[in-house]
Amino acid sequence: MATTEGQLDETAEGTGEARVGWRHTIDQVKRDTTARWGMYVIVIVTFVALFSALDANLNRLTLGHISNYAIGQALPLLEHPERIPPPGEIYRNEPPAFAEGGSWEHPMGTDHEGRDYLTRIVYGTRISIAVGFVATFIGLVGGVAIGAVAGYYGGWVDDALMRFVETIYAIPALVLVIVFTVFVSGGRPDVIYAVVGVGLASIPVFSRIIRSRVLSVREMDYIEAARAAGVKDRNIIMRHVIPNSFAPVLVYATLQVGVAVLIVAGLSFLGYGAQPPTPDWGQMLNYSHGLMHSSPWHSIWPGVAIMITVAGFNFFGDGLQDALDPRIEN
Amino acid sequence: MSVPGETILTVEDLKTYFYTEGGVVQAVDGISFDVRAGEIVGVVGESGAGKSVATTSILRLLDDAGEIVSGEITYRDTTIVGFEEAEEGGELVPRDDMLTKSEMRKEIRGNEIAIIFQDPMESLNPVYKVGSQIREFIELNRDLEGEDAKEEAIEMLREVGIPEPENRYDDYPHQFSGGMRQRVLIAMALGCRPSLIIADEPTTALDVTVEGQILDLVDDLRDEYGTSFIWVTHDMGVVAEICDRVNVMYLGQIVEQGPVDDIFHDTQHPYTESLLASIPRPDKTVEDLNPIAGVMPQAMNPPRGCRFHTRCPDAREACRDIEPRFVDVGEAPSHRAACLKHDDVGYWDSVPIENESRDGVVADEEPPAGGQETEAGR
Amino acid sequence: MTLLRYTAWRLAQAVPVLIGILFITFLLVNAVPGDPVRLMVEGQEVDQATIDMLEARYGLDKPFHERFANYVLGVMQGDLGHSFHRGMPVTELIMIRAPPTLMLVLSAFVFALATSIPLGVIAAKRRNEPADHVSRLLAIFGVSTPSFWIGIMLIIVFAVWLGLLPSGRLVYPWRDPGFYGLNNRLELWYHSIRHLILPMIALGTLQMATLMRIERSSMVETLQKDYVRLARAYGVPERTILRKHAFRSAQLPVITIVGLNLSTALGGAVLIETVFEINGMGRLIVQAIAQHDYQVVLGVTVVLAFIFLIGVIITDISYAYVDPRVSYGDED
Repeated sequence: MATTEGQLDETAEGTGEARVGWRHTIDQVKRDTTARWGMYVIVIVTFVALFSALDANLNRLTLGHISNYAIGQALPLLEHPERIPPPGEIYRNEPPAFAEGGSWEHPMGTDHEGRDYLTRIVYGTRISIAVGFVATFIGLVGGVAIGAVAGYYGGWVDDALMRFVETIYAIPALVLVIVFTVFVSGGRPDVIYAVVGVGLASIPVFSRIIRSRVLSVREMDYIEAARAAGVKDRNIIMRHVIPNSFAPVLVYATLQVGVAVLIVAGLSFLGYGAQPPTPDWGQMLNYSHGLMHSSPWHSIWPGVAIMITVAGFNFFGDGLQDALDPRIEN
Repeated sequence: MSVPGETILTVEDLKTYFYTEGGVVQAVDGISFDVRAGEIVGVVGESGAGKSVATTSILRLLDDAGEIVSGEITYRDTTIVGFEEAEEGGELVPRDDMLTKSEMRKEIRGNEIAIIFQDPMESLNPVYKVGSQIREFIELNRDLEGEDAKEEAIEMLREVGIPEPENRYDDYPHQFSGGMRQRVLIAMALGCRPSLIIADEPTTALDVTVEGQILDLVDDLRDEYGTSFIWVTHDMGVVAEICDRVNVMYLGQIVEQGPVDDIFHDTQHPYTESLLASIPRPDKTVEDLNPIAGVMPQAMNPPRGCRFHTRCPDAREACRDIEPRFVDVGEAPSHRAACLKHDDVGYWDSVPIENESRDGVVADEEPPAGGQETEAGR
Repeated sequence: MTLLRYTAWRLAQAVPVLIGILFITFLLVNAVPGDPVRLMVEGQEVDQATIDMLEARYGLDKPFHERFANYVLGVMQGDLGHSFHRGMPVTELIMIRAPPTLMLVLSAFVFALATSIPLGVIAAKRRNEPADHVSRLLAIFGVSTPSFWIGIMLIIVFAVWLGLLPSGRLVYPWRDPGFYGLNNRLELWYHSIRHLILPMIALGTLQMATLMRIERSSMVETLQKDYVRLARAYGVPERTILRKHAFRSAQLPVITIVGLNLSTALGGAVLIETVFEINGMGRLIVQAIAQHDYQVVLGVTVVLAFIFLIGVIITDISYAYVDPRVSYGDED
């Protein structure tokens, strides 16, 4: 293989790119301590969410009044419903274990209706995780579609789509989602509308990333070759352009899950997200807001849960970004 | 400023290593050369040969991972780099007479030794006016302030051939073309009146006509100001045009060194020959161009023996094991090379080896008439 | 001159986006299944005649395109409609409610910039050292924590437990000191700052965290540029390099992000105003939604988007001011 200086650089780059594959990325992420911790948090939280969502018995737990029991006590009760005491019998507002008057029976204390806080927090995971993933998926699909089409066709298609995207971006996401949730649901907001709203509100960022990638990929030789060979536009976009733009989108999607969790938490805090009795962290903060003076622990736990979950995604996304960005490696 | 012909910079057995996650990179591994007043000394080699590391070592501007581990660099009477063995343990520690960081900054950088980088597009700060950037460096390195410094900056712009320098002084870098920006950088360097300018591939990013103009300009300015240059390049054509003496580098070492005429007409190292064969020339077609075979090995794990043996068209068995010494060769007194051909260690008796330079076809070569060169360098 | 032309060009570009905002918001608000008037009067005893009267009054008996055209015409004359619930023009209502929101958002950015720039520069200067790792941790937790929860925690700690700072409401420095029972301007300023501190930190933390990371990575990148290496090679002291040679061009990405993040901050203000009981536009829109006062919802949304657009244009102009390549035309 004969080379002059210029070619030499090119070959080096070529082999480098082959090495920077998925395996390399995973290695990088594994080596980064924070990214690894982020991954652990994501796995654990997702597992907890799936676990609580799939189990119909546990589902009932969170809704009915028996959720005033700790998980360990509640499970056997489900098998013997006759032992469940009537509602209203044992409600009391109990502080967490470490505070005066608390007990390890309810490590985080109980809420204003006497329900075990730890149980509520654990089930809150389900809504947050579902919201995060589904909303991000909606944003991703919508954003990728718009961005790919705009970037690939250019011209007036690009202009029109990008103006639309800018318009959506100009309305603060939280406000857009509230208005969407309230008005599209006809005044009966629920978490489902919130999820779709957050998904729509996240389209702009995804489409911008994809579009800029497409603009650079479009000029590459093999795309030109495919076009010259008569491959259909749709196939070029699906097979070549989108896969090539995947890395930055993946990073952004990871971070966006966290953003979605935060927005929906805010929405629930205002009362337009998940509706009681479904346990949701934002909604729990809504309740606790009025009890700041008398029982401040109500305000602590849901916030900590949101923070840890979102931080998990952000740590992971941050590590992924470092791993995928060759500039930072040196 | 200085007596012509007087040696102003000496580099002796310089070693600069980079400590990376993957291991130690021996970027510069024991090089020696000197620069005399008013001359242009070339440092030539492929990218990755360690040329830039060598020159940044002179200004002690290595980034965090790089470290000068041994050797001496002397500028006139001051020690830029110098080591001695510690009293306990015998480790090399910086000597007392070595300049401190702040002395380096105040006494050497800019006012004695200036530098010009490869990419004129990146070397000027995009958010400040060109004139103010030159003026800042002049104020910092000379006893000129305010209006005087400004006048000097304009004078320098005129000197490097920028039309209407009074108006261009207030322009931003993006309003200059690549060649003009490189002229600005030369003005910047000259404005500080250094005795030595390190030019790190300053014409690589420019097209050939502009390159020619810059080379002519530098040649004129050298005569006018008596400034010495270290000219880093990978292009033997540039070397031929501008340099007085040449150092050919391969994988962190100097493999051949000498006056430019001798390097070109009495070439003593196969690597230099390969570099010369790859110069594009008007009298040759592209097919005649003979690029160097193979890829330069990693400086992390340099080949044993002669570092060039994996690509050398003349490599023989002996080259695998024996590290050639740097000895006097050829006719000129200061012409030296590191090749086993000039070393009495059995090169001529050993068998040619197969490597990246050929596919099993081995040329037979006889020892030059008159037998081995005698080595005076021992 | 060039900067002026650039400004005009950016303003002209904003017009289609503004019309788009009007359209999307109008569409959303009118997407109510059934009809908005029934929603407005939900739970009240109203006869059909009243409903017809209300529909006619808000022009709801007309087709969609006609209503939209009327709305756009109104907006162009500064008329954002009429509040059903409060019985006053929406424009007037927003004029009262906008200053607190602007004061809150601006102070949050001042707080964020004042903290993130020095912290980001230090992290960049000490890259991969403990200070850098700590700043990364702080930044990630900063973007991961809901601002309204930070607000609640701040209230619990500083207002409820320690009793150091007030837990809510703002004191407006432009009012008459007598309004708050204070004697002079100095006292007024003292109290408005005290009231502003907690909400400012709650809203500003997210911005601080984001900007700190941008500042760091931008500074790291700039410090590796050839022109910084060149300055070092000419003996410029390290402090001057940080403060002058690297700093100015490193602020360009920061400026862009400040503009774009204005949108997040305005959204965050909705929550922070609710937590701290600040009567700004954010709290207004939450109240208006609860009261089905849809003209107000529409008006506030449009004004928030408009403020965002103005903010982006201002940051674009500052960008052009810092980077001569923008205002002096394209490269080469």
